[in-house]
Amino acid sequence: MRLSVAENWVEAPLKQFVDEARVQLAVLLNPSGQVLGQYGFASSVDVMTACALAAATTASSAELGRQVDGRPFSGLHYAGKVRQIFLGQVPMGTSSLILLTVFDSESSLGLVQLFFAELCASIAVIVPPDAPSTPALGEDFERELNRNLSVMFGRS
Amino acid sequence: MSSPFTPLLASLIRHRGVTGCMVVGEADGMIVDSSLQIGINGDAFAALTASLYRKARRAAGAAGFGEVGFFELDADGGRMCAAGRNDLVIVVVAEPRVNVGLLRVEMLKALEAFA
Repeated sequence: MRLSVAENWVEAPLKQFVDEARVQLAVLLNPSGQVLGQYGFASSVDVMTACALAAATTASSAELGRQVDGRPFSGLHYAGKVRQIFLGQVPMGTSSLILLTVFDSESSLGLVQLFFAELCASIAVIVPPDAPSTPALGEDFERELNRNLSVMFGRS
Repeated sequence: MSSPFTPLLASLIRHRGVTGCMVVGEADGMIVDSSLQIGINGDAFAALTASLYRKARRAAGAAGFGEVGFFELDADGGRMCAAGRNDLVIVVVAEPRVNVGLLRVEMLKALEAFA
């Protein structure tokens, strides 16, 4: 499995997370669904689908958290029979990123949460000052999305 | 807030040299109940210890040794002991001077609460 990134600064923390937490799939994206880095996905279509679903789920759960608790939920875990999903928000300046990861019995929720906290700490330190604080939406969105997928999967 | 494991943990933490004890889910590495001294990162310790215990159990199974009864890790600054049953693991963190023999008996006895 190959780790690929659209932004160089996410490579080291994402690689460390994948290596330490022993997850099967991981994708780091911004709240609008643009991918910044991925591990374990075979095709760009899979990444695009996962990002769209992760962004939508995060937006829904954040709003649900606001309704229930007055503030957004920051993490979500789903345990299937064989595989489990963890979805968490990575604080980045005034905005945040989203990490979607899939793991099986080689890892555990405790390990994923532990190394997710380390990923958040690493990104807080290395995030470049010129990193966009708000996600790119509107007319540039599709172009940016395709550019990121091309960088990671080697297609033009 | 107390749990069914609170008396068990209270009895383990009273041992001389024990600095923390936890009941941890083996599969998810999450703390079910704990009694820890200040300074121990319980969540991290629970996640890593459960992973270690799970792997030790698999290694013992692969070697044909059967179930893991008691697991002990020695380090320069302390010891970690674990014993599990029914997807729960008792984890004890202790100073090097702890009486491991006595602790082992207590932990194996405590496992009966998990049956």
